Amino acid sequence: MTRQVVGSLLVALVIVAVTIVVVTARLGTTSTAELELREEMQENRIEMQEERLERQEDLREERLEQREDGGGPG
Amino acid sequence: MAVRGTGRIHAVGDIVETVTRGNVTEVKVILASVVLALAVYQLILIAVCYGRVRPPFLSSGAAGFAHRAIGDVIAVLLVVVAIMCLSYFELEDDTAAHVVAASALLVVLALKILVIRRWHALSSLLPLLGTCVFLLLVVTWATSAGDLLADR
Repeated sequence: MTRQVVGSLLVALVIVAVTIVVVTARLGTTSTAELELREEMQENRIEMQEERLERQEDLREERLEQREDGGGPG
Repeated sequence: MAVRGTGRIHAVGDIVETVTRGNVTEVKVILASVVLALAVYQLILIAVCYGRVRPPFLSSGAAGFAHRAIGDVIAVLLVVVAIMCLSYFELEDDTAAHVVAASALLVVLALKILVIRRWHALSSLLPLLGTCVFLLLVVTWATSAGDLLADR
């Protein structure tokens, strides 16, 4: 009887292991925390890119103004 | 589904988040799925225990012992999942079915444990209680973990 009980419990362990593997495969192995970190990094990158573009735009405008001031008639 | 009002519940929520490293939903789905898989196995074991199925490699006594041992594990896992739910998740309108099924599940499970441990006179109700526990578990899983797994 002991062997049968141990066997039954081992089957339960196998069921647990298989369930964990199947559900994890379905969910994906990347953790939510990691995904959030990636998302945050991507947002930061986009933000920096936007800032850089803004700065370039400002510089261009400044240069244009300087050219207009310097190159005018008189 | 959580009442984040009191500090104690909030602290438990923090512990849950730390232990699961921010993957509370995923861990909850895995635990709930393990419970459901074990519950299906429990049906087979109890069928052997009651003599409905007579496999040559498993006696009814061994099946009954394994059924009780695995049942204890299921009860502990259900309490852990319930704590995770209550301490971390917000109560929303679309989770009403899940909340009702889960609450009924815990009540029926508690009743079943009481019948097994104390109220032996009501042991004729055990098959009915076991069936109710299984059905409520299916509904509880389907309205939360099942939904999430179907979306992925």
